[in-house]
Amino acid sequence: MIYFDNAATTSVNREVLNAFNDLCVKHYGNAASNHKYGQDSNRLLNMARDQILKLFNLDNDYQVIFTSGATESNNIAIKGVALAYQNRGKHLITTSVEHPSVLNAFKQLEEEFGFSLTILPVNESGCVNLDDLKNAMRNDTILVSIMHVNNEVGSVNDIEKMSEIIHCYPKCFFHSDTTQGITKIPLNYKSLDMFIASSHKLHGLKGSGMLILKKNIRPLPLFSGGGQEDNIRSGTNDVPRDVVLAKTMRLEMEKTNSNYEHVKEINNYLRKELLEIEEVVINSPNDASPYILNFSLTKHKASVVVEALSLHDIMVSTISACSSKKNEKSHVLTAMNKNITISSNTIRLSFDEANTIEEAKQFIQIFKNILNELR
Amino acid sequence: MNAAMYDHIMVRFGELSTKGKNKKDFIFRLGDNIRNALKEFNGLTYNVRMDHIYINLNGLDPTPIVERLKDVSGIYSFSLVLKTNTDIENLKSLTLDILNKENKKTFKMRAKRADKLYPIISDDINRQIASHVLKNSSYKVDVHNPDVLVSITIREDAAYIFTEDIMGAGGYPLGVGGKAIMMMSGGIDSPVASYLLMKRGVALECVHFAAPPYTNAAVIDKIKDLCKELNRYQAKIKVHIVPFTKLQENIYKYSNESYAITIMRRMMYRISERLADKYKCLAIANGESVGQVASQTLASMKVINDVTTMPIIRPVAIFDKTEIIKIAKKIKTYDISIRPYEDCCTIFAPKNPKTAPGLEEVLAFEKKWDFESDIEECVKNVETIVVTSDLEDKDKNYL
Repeated sequence: MIYFDNAATTSVNREVLNAFNDLCVKHYGNAASNHKYGQDSNRLLNMARDQILKLFNLDNDYQVIFTSGATESNNIAIKGVALAYQNRGKHLITTSVEHPSVLNAFKQLEEEFGFSLTILPVNESGCVNLDDLKNAMRNDTILVSIMHVNNEVGSVNDIEKMSEIIHCYPKCFFHSDTTQGITKIPLNYKSLDMFIASSHKLHGLKGSGMLILKKNIRPLPLFSGGGQEDNIRSGTNDVPRDVVLAKTMRLEMEKTNSNYEHVKEINNYLRKELLEIEEVVINSPNDASPYILNFSLTKHKASVVVEALSLHDIMVSTISACSSKKNEKSHVLTAMNKNITISSNTIRLSFDEANTIEEAKQFIQIFKNILNELR
Repeated sequence: MNAAMYDHIMVRFGELSTKGKNKKDFIFRLGDNIRNALKEFNGLTYNVRMDHIYINLNGLDPTPIVERLKDVSGIYSFSLVLKTNTDIENLKSLTLDILNKENKKTFKMRAKRADKLYPIISDDINRQIASHVLKNSSYKVDVHNPDVLVSITIREDAAYIFTEDIMGAGGYPLGVGGKAIMMMSGGIDSPVASYLLMKRGVALECVHFAAPPYTNAAVIDKIKDLCKELNRYQAKIKVHIVPFTKLQENIYKYSNESYAITIMRRMMYRISERLADKYKCLAIANGESVGQVASQTLASMKVINDVTTMPIIRPVAIFDKTEIIKIAKKIKTYDISIRPYEDCCTIFAPKNPKTAPGLEEVLAFEKKWDFESDIEECVKNVETIVVTSDLEDKDKNYL
């Protein structure tokens, strides 16, 4: 199998899995129990938190909240903060190309809770223009959420410059959906008030993720409960799951540079080859994350080609995994001002360090054959 | 500051420049301490010289290294530097590169010619480089308040260019001040006292009095976590855990409740003194602060101190609680210290402790039982753990 769908999910690192299994057997104590055994679980949890903060060069004015993944983390950050701070203002800002767990959380706040919402457009590269952000900021803006790396095309937003603009407004918090960038594309995380990670995108476990936020931010808890995770995310901690998130992060961070170079080589090769094919238009901008390469077919139905590739044991996505079942056009490409043929016939390739140039060559070969056969 | 431009770190010494004949020992000690503090960064190489210590980054990202260096005592300041050849044309173009990357508006040159055989005097180096920058960029000179101060030091073998002095921790290199034993309860004060002493060059071993089951086992984890934060200043900290239960029970059995704390502190001092002798520590240190609680009034201290002739160092003796908390937050021990566990000093806290205990009465109570054998038992059964910033083996697989 050639697996080019690493932005949807990744294989589990054997080392992470072994640690998880060991922890499940040896450390089943409840981290909230006062006895020695429970406290040992709690100790491991806190060590995991410390290690994660250290990996991102963050001080103890930030804290790690363990969650079930990106969707939950985004929901806590967005709905939790908007509802907790609505007395300071009711204006929110996000972008048209966010993941549904961001966009729909904002839409719910607008439709059900009476917030006013600005959805920023993106330019042809899929990035937010700084001037658009500047113009959208108001005195009653309390939350801005802008993704770091787009999950469909890989566009990278200039989070650090945006932070300068947003933090001229002291009442406003800056959250970023960093799911596709974390451990992959370097970022000064101190420029953010809140950011997130999903473990299964990083060779970790599914159902595991985190929200990192400044300690002084107190989102309204979405679940009421026993007050775990600093009363931001109640529910008994899954200690093994949460502890190995730190390991997952560490293992990925140790390879940030080498992985980057590796997938860049694969990406460059594929980009060059795809450009030669007449009925292919590349959507990912040149300066996109090398982990993602998105292109559209001008003469074929993408869903058919993806199916044909799958029959050849090559796994790729149309749009993103989360929306690919709906058989609709990509909201990201539509926002990038692409026409309907382009935006409804996209294919996303996404890589990891296990992919090889040979796989890329094989892909091109088979892909060309499929286009010819379907002609 | 654009860290990516730089390939070395230049470390400047603090007060030790003034310490004539010990200078060499101090510098070598500082070199060792720096190596120790940075040991997790594989690939760094060091050049320890009598004027500066140079750390070659060998391509590593300096950001986390800079953070770590800020905590090494005995460093006055340090800079990320670009080491290059001394050719003036080369210096001109590199300076321009650096300024362009900084992307600011005004600059000032500060060249220093340590190698007096270099053919151009400092003033002319400044002029030549500045005019190159002025011709080829939109930068303007501001000699009073420049956005970027470009410093160039020219030595025989190389020139060093840098734009920022980062302040170090100051103080003396750890270990040059000898070794003391620190009475560590787990509260807010003792970690702060430890930090202040370490910064002053005094290495520490810790003594902790545990009274299970009256005290929770998690207190030991708390002590370990505190020491892990202190590992930034001392890479390896020994903690001697004294099993104090029997002695503490006897204190309450044989003395009046209001004298118990005074006698307990006297016992702790006695045990600390024995451990200090055993582990070659020259002083006892603790986090006592004058007047903070009953056992820390001057009258109490006098009676408690009476059991030993060893120097007692109380670094936070005259600090207000708010000042201590401020430092505790800075060194990141505060959040750990406030974890709610009982320690030996709080578990049996009497309702009316003596603020001015009489030595006569204390001695009378102590005569009632053979506390010496209790003390010997305590010392004999001490459990010693070593805390380093490395993960313990049992945790390594998980993280």
